[in-house]
Amino acid sequence: MAPWSFEHASLAAPLTVRSAAKPSRIEAEVMELFEEFRNPLLRYSLSLGLTVHDAEEVIQEAFLALFRHLQLGRSRRNLRGWLFRVAHNLALKQRLANRTLKLRTVLDTRSAEQQVDPTPSPEEEASTVQRRHRLLAVVQALPDHDQSCLRLRAEGLRYREIATVLGISLGAVSISLTRSLARLTRADRR
Amino acid sequence: MLNQNPRHISDEELLLAADGELSRHRAAAVHNHLQSCCTCRARQMELERTMTAFSQSHRIELDSQLPSIEGPRALVRSRLRALREERTPRWRYIFGLNSGVRRWAYLRAGFVVAVVLGGLWFGNSRIASSRVSFEAETRPDGSLTPGATRQVTMSEVCANPQEEVIGEVSVSLRQEVFEKYGIVNPRPDDYEIDYLIAPGLGGTEDVRNLWPQPYHARVWNAHVKDALEERLHELVCSGQVDLSTAQHDIATDWIAAYKKYFHTNKPLVGS
Repeated sequence: MAPWSFEHASLAAPLTVRSAAKPSRIEAEVMELFEEFRNPLLRYSLSLGLTVHDAEEVIQEAFLALFRHLQLGRSRRNLRGWLFRVAHNLALKQRLANRTLKLRTVLDTRSAEQQVDPTPSPEEEASTVQRRHRLLAVVQALPDHDQSCLRLRAEGLRYREIATVLGISLGAVSISLTRSLARLTRADRR
Repeated sequence: MLNQNPRHISDEELLLAADGELSRHRAAAVHNHLQSCCTCRARQMELERTMTAFSQSHRIELDSQLPSIEGPRALVRSRLRALREERTPRWRYIFGLNSGVRRWAYLRAGFVVAVVLGGLWFGNSRIASSRVSFEAETRPDGSLTPGATRQVTMSEVCANPQEEVIGEVSVSLRQEVFEKYGIVNPRPDDYEIDYLIAPGLGGTEDVRNLWPQPYHARVWNAHVKDALEERLHELVCSGQVDLSTAQHDIATDWIAAYKKYFHTNKPLVGS
């Protein structure tokens, strides 16, 4: 007999169902968006150099902010862009707080080797892996701003949304992406 | 790759065209040009290929670092619940004395919000080092609080979301719990009377299932335990864990149970 045991209460108190406090429609909406955008937001926050722990916290805070935003009856237009903007700002604030994080840790050589290809499948050709490393190395060398544009685009955001997230003009986004893609293409040709 | 030839379409315009950001007139002109210019078509395809290759690299690079969504999902759900409860003031329960549980729920919600707001600013690394001592004081005494359950069926347990099932703790029962733990004249903001096995998992309002949980616990606090209860309810109702196992694990050592079911050695985020 295990040292632990509990007894069933002989006079079981009836459970109360708190029907008046069921999850609200807004909560359900937020949870739905969480399912859809948690991973993209987390990837983006990680690409900004946050640790997984800090990035998760940023995402939690972004969704709590979204809940408050919706509760106040504010605009529902482009909630994806809204979430990325809030996460971007929180992540930068967090990054500033973490003075020790001087480099984009996810992109350092060691992590690229250990995490990008933890178990390179035999099927995956060496050239494919090399190509990926080459592209990521080029991106790593880009200014923060250009990296953010690329990463947000990689998460499927439209140029307009990227402009909103980063607080820049549509023209600035397209110039940045044009410049970055030119570099990536050159590297890819080698 | 930047195309300087004015007769051709610039890379920038090719990108904007692909995202539908050109004026109708200009979009038509670009479209017509592409029809007849294989150089620009080839550049357009190259731009797309490069972007696709980078997008794939971006995902492969980072996906291996993403923890499972389950823990964060349970956490955000319990935090939303706390926010919701915070927005439903129950002053009479706070200042009145007739409902332990509602007061419990409200104070706990307030605490959770404080943790949420504080989490980003103070970070967790600084408090992680003293985790062991916090663990020691945030577990109930097993001999005083072994846990107690009622006879429930799976359909009863799973009929309602975990957080919607509450019990009532009378004032006399609260006093009894404090007495058992030798706590004299507790201040309201020092402890909360917590269910060891949550009502939603079949736990009862019974002195054997109630313990004084200190509010000052910063790591393994009520907020973290909420997430565990939510997670266990999901696991039980999806058939992945027996109800009796869930009750046993949370009653034996809820912190160990958290580590077991979330596959982590510390609260996942912001606790």
